[in-house]
Amino acid sequence: MNPSRRTVASIGAHTFLGAVLVLSLAPVVWAVVSAFRPPTEIVSHPLGLNLSTLTLENFRRVLDDVPLVQGFVNTAIVLVSKGTLTLLLAPLAAFAFAKYRFAGRGVLFGAVLVTLMLPTIVLIIPLLLQMKELGWVNTYQALILPGAVDAFAIFWMRQVIAEIPDELLDAARIDGCGEFGIFARVVMPLIRPALAGLGVLTVMNIYNDFVWPVVVANSERMATLQVVLSTLAQNITGNRIGADYATVTGELLAAASLAMLPLVIIFIALQRYFVNGILAGSVKG
Amino acid sequence: MTLAPATRAAPAPAPPPPKARRAAHLRRRLAPYVFVAPFIALFAAFSIYPMLFTLRLSFTDWRGSGTAQWVGWGNYTYLLGSEAFWSSLGNSAMLWLLVVPVQMVLALLIAVCLNNAKLRLRGVYRVSYLVPFVTPLVAVAQIWVVLFDQDYGAVNQILSVVGLPDVGWLTTTTWAKPTLALLFIWKTTGFIVVILLSGLQSLDETLYEAAEIDGAGTLRKLWSLTVPLIRRTLAFAGVMQTLAVFQMFAEPFVVTQGGPYNSTTTAGFLLYKHINQADLGTGAANSFLLVVVVMLLSLLFVRLLRSED
Repeated sequence: MNPSRRTVASIGAHTFLGAVLVLSLAPVVWAVVSAFRPPTEIVSHPLGLNLSTLTLENFRRVLDDVPLVQGFVNTAIVLVSKGTLTLLLAPLAAFAFAKYRFAGRGVLFGAVLVTLMLPTIVLIIPLLLQMKELGWVNTYQALILPGAVDAFAIFWMRQVIAEIPDELLDAARIDGCGEFGIFARVVMPLIRPALAGLGVLTVMNIYNDFVWPVVVANSERMATLQVVLSTLAQNITGNRIGADYATVTGELLAAASLAMLPLVIIFIALQRYFVNGILAGSVKG
Repeated sequence: MTLAPATRAAPAPAPPPPKARRAAHLRRRLAPYVFVAPFIALFAAFSIYPMLFTLRLSFTDWRGSGTAQWVGWGNYTYLLGSEAFWSSLGNSAMLWLLVVPVQMVLALLIAVCLNNAKLRLRGVYRVSYLVPFVTPLVAVAQIWVVLFDQDYGAVNQILSVVGLPDVGWLTTTTWAKPTLALLFIWKTTGFIVVILLSGLQSLDETLYEAAEIDGAGTLRKLWSLTVPLIRRTLAFAGVMQTLAVFQMFAEPFVVTQGGPYNSTTTAGFLLYKHINQADLGTGAANSFLLVVVVMLLSLLFVRLLRSED
């Protein structure tokens, strides 16, 4: 390719990529900026921006109206405990699936694949009945234990661990390493990139999950951030007495902004690990 | 992934006494059971058990209380003859058409542009495209409701500036599906881009140089070289998105509640409607029918992939 054609191609690529970038960020940026505008202005001029009227009113009102702070605390508790469980137990089981022969391996892994295809909503009724029987409705264990070892995590980690050469594990055995030692000191360090990718994905899934939490933890004390948010959303359809469309919209955008920001910031800080993790641990072309 | 080369230069240590070797052998045989035990405990309690429970439920008329009557295949035959079931599959198929082909082409173009190591701002683009993917769906769906509101939304505002009439994005049967499809494409394309990038990074540069010498243009290289070479990655992404579209529940739940006139009652949302009406037996049967549909679609993808080998 000659230089002028290359310049044209490069301008074309940047125009295309730039347009996609604007479309990707626009809704998020719009929501965060609008959250600082007075509700009546958001409704009358959705695209306007009057710097002199910017206000924290929407944030103040939404923090008064719904237990958003408690929601953050609950989400954080679930995030840490469930995330730790997933990141420990999934690679451990995946290691057994990838590197050992044992009775029931095929059947068990088949069951994992079936649950991958089963819509999660299917399990909600029996799970809820189970929680009622255990007396776990509106408890942390109900939010943490079901789904703590996700089928996708097992599936993905098995793929990654299968690529580790067996000689490496045998070498560790000859050096006197126990079976768990092999997992902790050979396998885990080797799969670190994919593990980091799984980590970011797990954090995201837990933080963003709302169907199960809405069903099992709807009390004010136990509601996670997403539950609080979706309860607020139902107000926009007008069930709430005395609240007009503009006020609710303002509150909604403020709550949405508060809910988005922590994750977006965490993600931007960790995105290198996430992208490298996916690149390290996905199917080869 | 980088692997340290296995060290094998050192002379093998003296073989351990037979007793110790037997112990090591036993440990090695028992280890996998110990490793999968915690997983099995959680998996059996919170996946297998509820799954079997749902399976049994699908053959009864249970409505959440009282005693259940065994109805055999009744729920299944009822669903296969019901309009709601087929129209929910139709809605999901329509959404699939609006989402998957568009998204695959878009993601492929983006990934090919980003795969150029000399591209400036590469990292900035990549992060920005993933921002929609990490934002909570509930938050984003609400932003969608506000943005696409017929009377007060920013989207219609933009249209009116260009002189176009108002569109009832979420209130008309024509536009509700495309609006949901747009939300789905907006939210997940960045992730598909990363998956495709993982396929592209393993491609051999020299093939492209050869094609250039033969005078192949950019589009020709994309279609005749890149697409066939990364078809496994494309199929993986295709299966993943097909599963996601047919199971789609949260988007219609937050944005449209399945309306207007059931036009966004997807296969996944119909399950929720059964549950909401305490029609638990029918809901359970419906979910297994959906699993069959999803499995058949996945097999179709795998077939398409094999036939090209």
